[in-house]
Amino acid sequence: MTSKLYEILSQVFDIDISLINDQSSPETIENWDSFHGLALIDALEMEFNIQFSISEITDVKTVADIKKHLKNHSIEI
Amino acid sequence: MLEEKLSYFINESKKLKESDFEKVTRIAVIGSFTLNGLAETLQVKCAKSNIFSHIFSGGYNRYNEEILNSNSDLYSFNPEICFLILDTRTILEDLFYSTYDVTENDRRIFVNKKFEEISNLIKFYTNKSKSKIIFSNFVPPTYSSYGIFESKIEYGLQEMIHDLNQKLSNEFKNDPLTFLYNFNGFVTNHGLNTVFDYRQYYLGDVKISLEKIPYLANELMGYVKPILGINKKCIVLDLDNTLWGGIIGEDGFNGIKLGHNDPIGKSFIEFQKHLLSLHKRGIILAVNSKNNYEDAMKVIKEHPNMILREENFACLKINWNDKSRNLREISQEVNIGLDSIVFFDDDKVNRDFIISVLPEVLTVEMPKDPSQYVPTLLELTDFNVLKITEEDKSRGKMYREQRKRTELEKSTNDFDEYLKQLNIKLFIKNADEFTIPRISQLTLKTNQFNLTTKRYQEEDIRNFSQDDKKIIGCARVEDKFGDNGITGVFIVDKNNKEWIIDTFLLSCRIIGRGIEQGIINYIISLAKKQNVSKLTANFIPTKKNQPAESFLPSFGFKKLNDQWVYQIENHIDSTTSHLHISKEE
Repeated sequence: MTSKLYEILSQVFDIDISLINDQSSPETIENWDSFHGLALIDALEMEFNIQFSISEITDVKTVADIKKHLKNHSIEI
Repeated sequence: MLEEKLSYFINESKKLKESDFEKVTRIAVIGSFTLNGLAETLQVKCAKSNIFSHIFSGGYNRYNEEILNSNSDLYSFNPEICFLILDTRTILEDLFYSTYDVTENDRRIFVNKKFEEISNLIKFYTNKSKSKIIFSNFVPPTYSSYGIFESKIEYGLQEMIHDLNQKLSNEFKNDPLTFLYNFNGFVTNHGLNTVFDYRQYYLGDVKISLEKIPYLANELMGYVKPILGINKKCIVLDLDNTLWGGIIGEDGFNGIKLGHNDPIGKSFIEFQKHLLSLHKRGIILAVNSKNNYEDAMKVIKEHPNMILREENFACLKINWNDKSRNLREISQEVNIGLDSIVFFDDDKVNRDFIISVLPEVLTVEMPKDPSQYVPTLLELTDFNVLKITEEDKSRGKMYREQRKRTELEKSTNDFDEYLKQLNIKLFIKNADEFTIPRISQLTLKTNQFNLTTKRYQEEDIRNFSQDDKKIIGCARVEDKFGDNGITGVFIVDKNNKEWIIDTFLLSCRIIGRGIEQGIINYIISLAKKQNVSKLTANFIPTKKNQPAESFLPSFGFKKLNDQWVYQIENHIDSTTSHLHISKEE
């Protein structure tokens, strides 16, 4: 499941999957701005058929946080 | 049709290189909220139509400054097309939430003020840029704090927006430089709940959800394609399971599904009805079917529930030949490029074959379910034109008459005899309010018999008609079988003793009957009267205008450096005797 998440991150941020880890953040990924962040949410929601709340969305500093929120939606990564 | 994710378009747009494309355009996208992603999506969609687009993305909610400042980046970008996307919340300001804090009269004053502001903005833009602007209309909020009582209020929130939309529509209806995009209709199709995502609005002032941006871009392409002259002109249709349910060769005349009492039959009738209405406004229809000719024609001619009849088709290729060969023949007989054709065939094997062998044809990915044929057809944005003229509406009749001409030609032994029997009359007309739209249309879409392929919008033609240094006219052609309509255009620059042909084009359906010679002879007769000694023409070669290349030397023009020159003093009128030419005032 980690690889599915990383695949989506790789596609949305247009970077090689090897450059992604759980500590990746807007500070370490160049294309991770607010707009791409919204595109990421869209992609995750479509893939896993879930809907994030605005509080969850604003509570993301790293990829690890995304995993945490996915887990709260019963998506095991 | 399902669109890709927005991030797909953003990534794909990075791979585009201008040098790979023949056609280049400049598109501006400005608006009152975040429109990120729309630019990249438009670029990729343009690329799919073989166009490279430079895009100017407006600054966040800076549309007023960008338009009203004559020195803005928008004007230095010099767009060919500008999309102005505004939203209801921004326009209504506080009244969006506290509509009823003010009186009805104040609400009316407010809407009038907003109408004036937007109107002036658009007029300022078109005056300054002289190019096309497409602006969106406003979505009336469906919620009201007054609930069901909203409809009993005088000039409530919903009425305000409807009124604003109506005022804008009326103001610009006759302005050829502007188009009002029905964004409200887009929201109706997709549902406000999917187009407006509150989270995206709070997080980034995104008022059209990222998921729907590609669908919006698709709609906007409906404007880009006709402005760039790449709209489709003809629908070629398979028969079995495309125009009726079942296979005529197997199910027989009474066994095919084409009835009002049967849900599957109804799907096909509805599909035919929509095709017919497209045909009536100028889209050419043709048939490409692997079938026994008599069996299929019996349905077309005699089946009581058939909506489309033989007379609606410009060409019927019903045989056992290769379907790609049929498409090539249709393209030749109807005289349009393969890239002007949209092909409908229910059989995926046939479709994949045509996609690989004739990629220029737009082969529609038809759904397996015939009940979805109509939505698939209605979603296509490729048939849009900037103007639908009387010529367009009578196109079906013209093709019917053309088939009669072909039959006459086959029955006469000698081409000159055929031309004589055709009894061709050529009427030269000025560029006036009636002919200007058609003249512009012909310069935009005529590719084959076109010496210079210069594209002119209506405003350009209007300006030329008022220019003393230019002669602009068109030719209407009539013969025994009917009126071909206005099918020739010429624009000549007067330069003392030398006249230069800027534009000389003929619709391909009238080439080869001496008409092109007749028009040049007419131009020369005008030139002679004004003591002009030479007529110069340029030929600018393109992929499609080879048919025009040999015309100049065959008429008697001589090559001098890069131009073709005709010395008028030696001129003898060579108009063939079978052609009657006259000038219509």
